[in-house]
Amino acid sequence: MTKLAVIRSSPNVVDGSRSTGDLVLEADVCIVGTGAGGAVTAATLARAGLSVLMLEEGGYYTHADFTMREKDTEPRLYQEGMTRTTADGAIAILQGRAVGGTTVVNWTTCFRTPEDVVEHWKKKHGVAGFAYADLVPHYEAIEQRLAIAKVGYGSMNPNNRTLHDGCTKLGWSVDTLRRNVHACMQTGFCHLGCPVNAKRSMLVTMIPDAIDAGAKLVFRARADRFEVEAGAVKALRGTLLDAEGRKPTGRTFTVKAKRFVVSGGAINSPALLLRSGIDGGGLVGTRTFLHPVVGSAAVYEEAIEPSRGAPQSAASHHFAHRGDEVGFFLEAVPWYPALISTTTPGFGPAHEAAFVQSPHTALHIAIAIDGFHDDVPGGRVTLRESGAPLIEYPIVPKLWNAFRFAQKRLAEMQFASGAKTVRTIHEVPVVMHGKVDEAAIDAARWEKGSVPVSTAHQMGGCRMGDDPKTSVVRSEDLRCHTVSNLHVIDGSVFPTSLGVNPQQSIYGLARLVATRIAAAK
Amino acid sequence: MATSRRSFLRKGLIGGALLALGGVGLAVYPSKEVGVATAPLEALEPRAFQVLVALASRIVTATGSNPVAIAHSADRTLSYALPETQEAINKLLGLFENALPGLLFDGRLQPFTRLSAQSQDAVLESWRTSRIELRRTGYQALRKLVLAAHYIEESSWGPLAYSPPRGFSAMAYDDSQVGTPEWVRAQANGDTK
Repeated sequence: MTKLAVIRSSPNVVDGSRSTGDLVLEADVCIVGTGAGGAVTAATLARAGLSVLMLEEGGYYTHADFTMREKDTEPRLYQEGMTRTTADGAIAILQGRAVGGTTVVNWTTCFRTPEDVVEHWKKKHGVAGFAYADLVPHYEAIEQRLAIAKVGYGSMNPNNRTLHDGCTKLGWSVDTLRRNVHACMQTGFCHLGCPVNAKRSMLVTMIPDAIDAGAKLVFRARADRFEVEAGAVKALRGTLLDAEGRKPTGRTFTVKAKRFVVSGGAINSPALLLRSGIDGGGLVGTRTFLHPVVGSAAVYEEAIEPSRGAPQSAASHHFAHRGDEVGFFLEAVPWYPALISTTTPGFGPAHEAAFVQSPHTALHIAIAIDGFHDDVPGGRVTLRESGAPLIEYPIVPKLWNAFRFAQKRLAEMQFASGAKTVRTIHEVPVVMHGKVDEAAIDAARWEKGSVPVSTAHQMGGCRMGDDPKTSVVRSEDLRCHTVSNLHVIDGSVFPTSLGVNPQQSIYGLARLVATRIAAAK
Repeated sequence: MATSRRSFLRKGLIGGALLALGGVGLAVYPSKEVGVATAPLEALEPRAFQVLVALASRIVTATGSNPVAIAHSADRTLSYALPETQEAINKLLGLFENALPGLLFDGRLQPFTRLSAQSQDAVLESWRTSRIELRRTGYQALRKLVLAAHYIEESSWGPLAYSPPRGFSAMAYDDSQVGTPEWVRAQANGDTK
């Protein structure tokens, strides 16, 4: 039996769906969520000798479940069965839901938080609890544990190479990416869970580390609300879910702990606080950032086969800083039939004609960097009647302007790398042959429902800072200003978006903060 | 922020009223049964299932596609969605079917399931390019639901030159050792530019 299998079958791992009674649990620290923030926190605290209990709403799936088929995996590994959207349905939200969280399904792109972003947080949002230099040793430790390394030019698939070559020809800054993989077999299925454990997600690193150090894990356990008395959490109440995570089993759980950590991500964490009556003076759930994405499809004579090879291995931040305008960065996206069929416009024969070109089609995206301009305030998480989160995100004029500009640059880059035809992903697309038609892109319908917008990076909603009037948690240790034994450790604490893929920013900050919590125990 | 929030809520209220029309029907034109469910439904109401079958037959016209199978696949996907989402999709399908809003917006007297294929395409086109945000986003929600339900099935992959292999998991690494093993470091260095 492999070490991972031993850990999966450890008595410290409990499947909540199989519980025949209500659970009453105790620990020094209870962590809600096992993604980038929760898993790193759990491993750090468990190794420091604290008794740690991890709770996870999703299932505990392993490589054998990752069949490289969307049908087997997308409904199980994504929030709301991959149907999560903003309230108006205009923005598709990709977010993981499993032991290991989004790290199980992300595309392995790793960036440290840009130093200028940490500086911006300090100057503009009063984040004084740490400096960039404080994060560096934690980034290094994570890079070692997760085998984060830069890929070489030769490792790129054609989908990424076209992005790299197009930018290079235009003189735009571009680079290969750093990935958290070991001996990647280039299956191309990161999005559906790595079938060979090459991706060093939380599932195969920090969660086993935590359990190895004595931590306990209950999965299929949904945290409903904290009971707060006299400024401290007295207990956490929750619901056990069935094996597929679709319905409650009728059993509940209660946790008593000295400290609680919320690590549910930028949508579920604020929702849990709001259900618990913790609204941070109206700040909880506000300034939610999505790195909203628009895309461009380019048809090449050569086969691109974007479903093969590492999904992401190149990025350009050439347009990240645009002064008063919203910046963006460029990356590639992989191709899976169900996912990408929905971004190919039209219906009936018109859709089919465009979709069968897919083996020759490259897909590139522009990711808008929201939260750095006063007139780009982000969205808001509130509660539905049932208590589930409701996400509203207005696409303000400045974002639409950024999308228009980005769409032109995407097309320019694609033609520079040899594309014969470029198509915007509007429902009524702009189709260009040989050169960018800026007037047609300007004239396209830039409005919700006419152009698909999506997000794979959710941030904010429980922002950190040191003034309780303008922040939810203090930056020193991410402890709630108003609840003495409650921390929030995940991407929800970022006061802005990041301008880079977020996983490593969460790892590094979580490790820093967990180390401080362990030292103060 | 306050202004955009008010604007958002206003749009939401209009959208809600429009969506509510999905529950109102013209009794003289009942829905037509266009397909028979082959398994119990998990999220879709029977009437909504019929509308989805009709929609699937126009959104996916590839040879060999099966609208009933697509509607069942969509029903399975929706079974993982929030109850609120399931309710909204059922209402949206009702709105799509309904002759009353159809009369108001498209000038049609019959429910969607009773229209000819050509007229159904015209309704889809009308929603697709509508000036009303709810109709555009509603069209997108249903279009995406149908397309994903079709292309998630291996039977649809023939024309796409797409056939991921099976059995990769047999080659999985066991890399759960605490700390970073030497062989991981060696690999990382080898792949570093």
